[in-house]
Amino acid sequence: MGFFAPWFLAGIAAVGLPVWLHLLKKHRSDPRPFPSLMLFERREVSSVKHRRLEHLVLFALRAAMLILLALLFANPFIRRAIPIARQKHLTVIAVDDSFSMRAGNRLQQAKDQAQSILASLRPGDPVQVVALGAQIQTLTQPTTDLAEARAAIHSIQPADSRASFGELARYSRTLAESVQSPIELDLVSDLQKSAMPPGFADLRLDPGTNLVLHQVGDAAPNWTVESVTAPRRVYDPKKVRIQAIIAGFGAPAAKRAVSLLLNGKSLQTKTVDVPENGRAQVEFLGLDAPYGFSRGEVRIDSADILAADDHYDFAVERADPKKILFVDDGRHPRAELYYKAALDASPDSAFTLESLRPEQAANAKLANYALIVVSDLGALAGGFEDSLKGYVSSGGALLIALGPASAAAPRVPVLDEAIQSSAYAHPEGEMFLSVSELDTGDPVMRAVERFDGVKFYQAIRVTSAKSRVLARLNDGTPLVLERAIGEGKVMAFTSTFDNTANDLPLHAAWVPFVQRSAEYLGGEGSDQPVNVTADSYIELRASGDKTGAAEVLFDGRRLLSLEEAASARNFAVHNEGFYELKTASGRRSLIAVHADRRESDLAVIPKETLDLWKATGSDDSASGAPASADQGDKKPWGLWPILLLILLGVAVAESIVADRHLKPPPAVEKSKRKEAA
Amino acid sequence: MLQRFLDPSVLAGISGLDLIAKTVVDGFIAGLHRSPDFGFSQEFAEYRAYTPGDDLRHVDWNVFARTERAFLKRYRGETNSQLTILLDASRSMKFGSHATDKLEYAKFLAASLAYLAHMQRDAAGLIVFDDEVRRYVRASSRQGQLARILHAIENAQAGARTDFARPFLTLQEFLRRRGIVAAISDFWEQPAKIVQTVEPLRYRGNDLILFHVLDPEEIHPRLRHPALLEDLETGEAMEVSPDYVSHEYRSKVDAHLEDLRTRAKGAGIDYFLIDTSRPLDAALREYLAIRKGKM
Repeated sequence: MGFFAPWFLAGIAAVGLPVWLHLLKKHRSDPRPFPSLMLFERREVSSVKHRRLEHLVLFALRAAMLILLALLFANPFIRRAIPIARQKHLTVIAVDDSFSMRAGNRLQQAKDQAQSILASLRPGDPVQVVALGAQIQTLTQPTTDLAEARAAIHSIQPADSRASFGELARYSRTLAESVQSPIELDLVSDLQKSAMPPGFADLRLDPGTNLVLHQVGDAAPNWTVESVTAPRRVYDPKKVRIQAIIAGFGAPAAKRAVSLLLNGKSLQTKTVDVPENGRAQVEFLGLDAPYGFSRGEVRIDSADILAADDHYDFAVERADPKKILFVDDGRHPRAELYYKAALDASPDSAFTLESLRPEQAANAKLANYALIVVSDLGALAGGFEDSLKGYVSSGGALLIALGPASAAAPRVPVLDEAIQSSAYAHPEGEMFLSVSELDTGDPVMRAVERFDGVKFYQAIRVTSAKSRVLARLNDGTPLVLERAIGEGKVMAFTSTFDNTANDLPLHAAWVPFVQRSAEYLGGEGSDQPVNVTADSYIELRASGDKTGAAEVLFDGRRLLSLEEAASARNFAVHNEGFYELKTASGRRSLIAVHADRRESDLAVIPKETLDLWKATGSDDSASGAPASADQGDKKPWGLWPILLLILLGVAVAESIVADRHLKPPPAVEKSKRKEAA
Repeated sequence: MLQRFLDPSVLAGISGLDLIAKTVVDGFIAGLHRSPDFGFSQEFAEYRAYTPGDDLRHVDWNVFARTERAFLKRYRGETNSQLTILLDASRSMKFGSHATDKLEYAKFLAASLAYLAHMQRDAAGLIVFDDEVRRYVRASSRQGQLARILHAIENAQAGARTDFARPFLTLQEFLRRRGIVAAISDFWEQPAKIVQTVEPLRYRGNDLILFHVLDPEEIHPRLRHPALLEDLETGEAMEVSPDYVSHEYRSKVDAHLEDLRTRAKGAGIDYFLIDTSRPLDAALREYLAIRKGKM
């Protein structure tokens, strides 16, 4: 017998209360006043003995109530042995079908082992088959139909997921709560070390769960292409650099031939020395990719048992850089210089910059430009502003810088926000403005790291009635505003792009600000990664976007049903290879999926760790002895319902006894009622 | 309606003894179907021959002019008597098993008697006593006398134990005119001793009324369990059983009351037992009956 909460037993000390009360009551003479005892005679008329006896019964009941209450809170239990013969174990066969099981014929061995476990069961024994990956895939519900279980095992195919023993333990705990019977968990796996969760506590099993491990395969040397770094877009094929990391797990030092392939065609091959249990880097220069999406691959010529991780897929898109029009009237000659320098800072810049005067720009075909930058022109000529409005409404993007020329204008062109005044600070003195508020949810603002250290000496104070303020100076002046007009976007920067009104171009924040804003406004900005690991999710549509249909193609097969294509927000990719994606907004991309390279490490969990894991499912976990299926399990059985019933009975008895002995005489009651009236 | 106002618990809810007395007496008189002949009018009663020493202001000079004989004109209002109220304020009077304790009830009674006397132009006085005289208001029919008496009654507090000897001795010293002496007490003393103490007053031509005020719990106490009873005056405690109270005590108290009644009657003293749960009119009726007979 034990207690779930033994510290509540201290409550038994409360029995002292009725002891004290009854003793006090016993010794308390409660004389009733009477006018005269002239007519009374002193004689032995007391019946104290009788009264004491009755009060002792009351005391005993009250003490029993308190003791029972303390016991109830302490929640006692006894261990009841459940004979093995009377119990039906649920046998759960978990077959590891993770990426590492592709090594050799491990998966087939695992399936054979699972079939043999199934064969050892008696008819009528409940069994469940699950596949172990990053998540548990239940192939059957608990069933006594062994043929169904056999078919489920047979249907298991190699997957590209990463195994998670933590997920298996969590599943077994949940199952134990629902089935209310002992579980024998047969894990058929290569027991890969990398499948262990970060914390051992995540492996904890329910006390009624008996873990039986069936290992297939042993640790083996393995080389793999661990990662590839490639640009998602190629604008100048000669400038492209592709880097690959070649890793060896449990492997001796070796030379490996590394090849770069594009659309199945080998472009370059290099040899690299991979150190023992180490990594080596290979870099390929230039990628002569055709326009559009291409399927890239880095491959090594390893002769290990896991051939599936000898190649690493990546996707690239060949495109021409987009044009940005920089409109400047010569008032800020250094603005274009700073802007262009920032734009070209990246080796594979997606944009080229053209500069025009306002009068030239008014006659240019604006639709040819992905982004138009207007550098402090003040009030625009009516025709040019109308052209800009039409360009933005039809999906174009405009970035406006405001400066001294704009201070006298009544409003910001196109953005249509009123200009109120200028906010000044002296450039020579210590007076300057800085950014105090930043909308970090915005992709452009997130990149600029709060404009740290940037000093603003002049900013144009504009209203923000129609626009969203992305950044604000410490005097409340909006610094960056954004507004969507039609299908396009307008962004306003209320200071100049040179270093006359601020020193932003001299700070590190300038380059990401220019590049991110150009990508965001020019249509290059996309958070969708194109190289992902298996079991990741790819986004099909933005939140709240109900228009358009998404499409996912894999090996020429459509993976989405009509309903999913019309409404699904994201999609999980489980297999290695290339997925052709068309989002609901119509953007097309090619996504390369590769298995998690932690699966490439075939090291096995040490035996001591496995023993500890098995012991978590046994009641004798302290002794470290694994639970045996032949032993009868002892389960704690709570006694609180019985105690509660007894307590109720005692409470009723106490009420009756107390009412009988402590009720005041009718005369006193009557006088009390009169007094109350 | 009258009964409702005379109920002790109702009277206890009225603040001010003068109002209580007025409520009791006016209501009681209004409840009688004929006017009392001892009313308070200045009604002519008789002529009496002048004797030296009489106040000349009372001589009927009209009669003297016609007859040349001096007669004194007397009115009913002048055929007054003197009422002296003895109010027991001992600690035992503080006992009460319901809303009105004995002392409070005795105060109502004393106030009502004083008010009644005042209405009849009788001189009224008061002695509040326990084991000695606590307050003495000389009998008088002067203006403001009623207020003095009511004030004294109102201020009477339960004091020590009862001792009849000393207050009655004091009363004998102060009592110079014959009149009515109303003693209000619970008379927890041996009947022989009580009568022996008050009897000398009777010898002086006074009419004595003993208002024996008792709580119903004193006459017929009820106990369900053995209890420790404490004498309010002596502080002595005694454990008594329900059996004793329901049998022996009741017979003893009946015998005690009967003994007191018999001895009082034998000594020519009017005795009236009042249960504090009963309305006040019975006590007043008793008093008036005696008063009428003595006029």
